[in-house]
Amino acid sequence: MKLRILLADDHEIVRRGLRALLEKHEGWEVCGEASDGREAVEKALQLNPDVVIVDIGMPNLNGLDTTRQLLQHDPHFKVIVLTITDSDQVIREALDAGARGFVLKSDAARDLVSAVEALQNKRMFFTPRVNDLVLAGFLEKGQTVSRNEAPKLPTLTAREREITQLLAEGNSSKEVASLLNLSTKTVETHRSNIMRKLSFHSIRDLVVYAIKNNLIQIELPPPPPKTPTGPGPTAA
Amino acid sequence: MTIRILLVDDHPIVRQGLKTLLEGHSGWEVIGEAADGAEAVEKAKDLSPDVMVLDVTMPRMNGLEACRLLRQECPGLEILFVTQHDSPQMMREALEAGARGYVVKSNAARDLLAAVDAVSQHRVFTALNGRNVAELR
Repeated sequence: MKLRILLADDHEIVRRGLRALLEKHEGWEVCGEASDGREAVEKALQLNPDVVIVDIGMPNLNGLDTTRQLLQHDPHFKVIVLTITDSDQVIREALDAGARGFVLKSDAARDLVSAVEALQNKRMFFTPRVNDLVLAGFLEKGQTVSRNEAPKLPTLTAREREITQLLAEGNSSKEVASLLNLSTKTVETHRSNIMRKLSFHSIRDLVVYAIKNNLIQIELPPPPPKTPTGPGPTAA
Repeated sequence: MTIRILLVDDHPIVRQGLKTLLEGHSGWEVIGEAADGAEAVEKAKDLSPDVMVLDVTMPRMNGLEACRLLRQECPGLEILFVTQHDSPQMMREALEAGARGYVVKSNAARDLLAAVDAVSQHRVFTALNGRNVAELR
């Protein structure tokens, strides 16, 4: 029987690349694709894949919360998180969320097949950096966050994190309500709770929080060339 | 006549996705790949492609620097940026660097074929996410 894989990434071109890579492997098939986390959860419940591959930086519902939701629905889901960074915080959150594989997007062509094979054989797959962190004891139960780090995400509930991401992506309360099938009043209540819990007074604070906590990701322009040949890029 | 294309992006998985899309078009051939701007310049000189599909943010040498160099080294080459940067400023900078086209990566599956078709005929093609798709000249 074939191993069935669900792919979730907001870039179709990346999904095409992943599909081409995975379908070269005999006995594997990509049974579905999703372009954001919410669609990934829906399709996973519908298709019941053996492995779900999720990008961390997806709109509407990011990959970490997608992983959390999937495992709440069914703890047997096997999730591989694809990420552009392997910072300590991202690694911790991916493991906390329950991911069984962690692959850097830049290394996906090399590592993803090994990661899927590992999960197929009931093992886990992590990058060498994750293994180093585990060995160094960073992930011991009860480990506290260092003083210089951003506030930890679990101060918000899963629903509050979802709403924080959607607000930080520029959606109004009304739009968030529509996306989540809630009343605008309920979203406004969540919004007030979020702002109170985090002691924020503006949506700008919320956006910064969302970026620091990997709820949303931003693309920075490349550094200006060493030899100036014109005006440098303008930071967003 | 076959259009010979060189793909430049630091993520192999993105190059694979672009390749499957481009090779589905008859008469187009991906003749090589590069993972950064410096390698792109070398391979362009070796392989003389008709069109280069070029990322902006890459290690060693970014796409804008490579584009400026290539304008001098390979004047017949048409350059099409495919980038994460959904930004009018970045698009303007890319065109000033000598590119003929600019497509946002999230829409590449939709815009890439039309863009390669346009730039291969020396026409400008630019498309920002959800704002405009403009084919000029």
